[in-house]
Amino acid sequence: MTSCIVGIEDVSKIFGSNEHLTPVLKHVSFRAFLGELLLLLGPSGSGKTTLLTLIAGLLKPTSGVISLFGRDIISYSPRELQHMRASRIGFIFQTFLLIDSLTVLENVAVVLRFNGKSKKESYLQSRQLLGKFGIEHLAQKFPPTLSQGEKQRVAVARAIAHDAQLIIADEPTGSLESKQGFDIIRLLRKYSRDQNRCVIVASHDLRIVEYADRIIQLEDGKILPDRNNMNKKLD
Amino acid sequence: MYAIRTLRNQPLRLALTIGGVSLCVILMLFLISVYRGVADGSVEYIRKNTTDLWMLQCNATNILRGTSLISAGQGERVRGIAGVESVSPVLFVLAAIYNGEKHRTVFLTGYQPENDMGGPPHLVEGRSIQSDNEIVLDKSFAAKFKLNLGDRVDIQEHSLDIVGISGGTNAFVIQYAFVSLRLAREIMGFPGIATCYMINLETGYSLREVADDIRSHLSGVEVYDHETFLKNNIYEMESGFLPLLYTVAVIGAVVLTLILSLLLSVNILEKRKDFVVFKTLGSPKGFLGRLIIAQAMWISTSACIVALIVFFCLVRLLEKISPEVSTKSTVGQIIVVVAVAEIMSLISSFLSMRKLRRIYLMEAFL
Repeated sequence: MTSCIVGIEDVSKIFGSNEHLTPVLKHVSFRAFLGELLLLLGPSGSGKTTLLTLIAGLLKPTSGVISLFGRDIISYSPRELQHMRASRIGFIFQTFLLIDSLTVLENVAVVLRFNGKSKKESYLQSRQLLGKFGIEHLAQKFPPTLSQGEKQRVAVARAIAHDAQLIIADEPTGSLESKQGFDIIRLLRKYSRDQNRCVIVASHDLRIVEYADRIIQLEDGKILPDRNNMNKKLD
Repeated sequence: MYAIRTLRNQPLRLALTIGGVSLCVILMLFLISVYRGVADGSVEYIRKNTTDLWMLQCNATNILRGTSLISAGQGERVRGIAGVESVSPVLFVLAAIYNGEKHRTVFLTGYQPENDMGGPPHLVEGRSIQSDNEIVLDKSFAAKFKLNLGDRVDIQEHSLDIVGISGGTNAFVIQYAFVSLRLAREIMGFPGIATCYMINLETGYSLREVADDIRSHLSGVEVYDHETFLKNNIYEMESGFLPLLYTVAVIGAVVLTLILSLLLSVNILEKRKDFVVFKTLGSPKGFLGRLIIAQAMWISTSACIVALIVFFCLVRLLEKISPEVSTKSTVGQIIVVVAVAEIMSLISSFLSMRKLRRIYLMEAFL
């Protein structure tokens, strides 16, 4: 039985104050489960990224309830949220956001260090992970010397290094060529299925639709009905 | 690792910052070592003196900044007081010494060489004066004017042989020179006067009682025991010199803090994305702050190392160029300056850390 780790119920998010209010999300509801790759599909400005930041606990919703790992996100203290990000959530950003001053190995090890692992243990585990990804030879290189594809593989390695139960990926294929993009999305799907983890991907890239287990289409902050039967086609 | 590598990414900026902080540390080291040198040079003459009591004119509490004129008659009357073993007059006169066309003012100290009281605290070279046509010069004064033993200098119409070079007699703005009391009186033009009298007591007599006796027998004089007189002179020296020293040292420390704060703040702004990523990935509380502190401490420690190397080279150079600038450095002084630099760098890191508050987690997704 699959278990729900993210629950979004009637969530709205409004930015700004007084007369300059900008509603970004309007009464959004859905759930995400372990073992699935959930695609939040929508054009730029549809509210995908805001939704991801709400799920990660980086922002608070204006209204509605977000439950994360079975608890209302509002009930988490800042320290608990920090600990949760360090131990249970992995992030993949559109522009990779690797730390240029750290080597590839250190970039991956940093999340393990945040998770309380010793330096030796973090480095050993990170090296093994880089080996699994076939990029062990890049361990001592610095991000500016890597190709886009290599950077994205390192970013994925960093996201799953601490065995995160939830991976949040914002436009992970946005800066990549088609083949590299497909490789990454396949990698994420494999991770979600093999490790029974939940991967939520926000993207406007229709080419990756076929790799998703489920699709939620967003437009102007609302979830669209599945008119094209995208989810049925996936079945 | 991240903290230092980030700084190294901008080598020119890092070098300029270390240079700026080093200059501040050098400034502080230099001021303190000059102070120590001046402090020792100004009062060494008194500190090394073995006299029991100092008698000066009323209202004169020290020899550095005070006027005291006592007649020989009063000195003679002291000899008659019970418990007084010996009385040695000393006359201080500001006088210009000529070496050819060049001249320089010295703190001319006239004493009775036969009494062996009031002479140079220690001789670096040569011997003490034995006659009226001899002079002992301060070491730095002699070095500055390239004067050696056997050379001659002139004071008014008197031509004097340099027979000794003394140490511990450099008071920064002026240096001591030693001549006979007779000559000093001739130079001043008032025979039979002295600035002060050094009084030694017979064993078994109380300093306080004899001092009280002198005060009751002689009007218009004040008597100090050695410790009090030394303290008075140190106080005078410090009150004239320390405020300036503190002001410049504080300016140095503030400049150090500002330079470091500026670099750290610029670094935070430039590496904002890195800090956002660290935060988003779940960096523990205080992690970013510790990064900033590590950067500040690394810079200040590097700057202190550079400063110490440069400082000792500078002191050696200064000894050659300007020997009258007397400096003295101790391990304690260096520890204090390094500690101040580290504390100020810590403060600068706390000032810069305020920028971290304006780093928002969702920036990672923008």
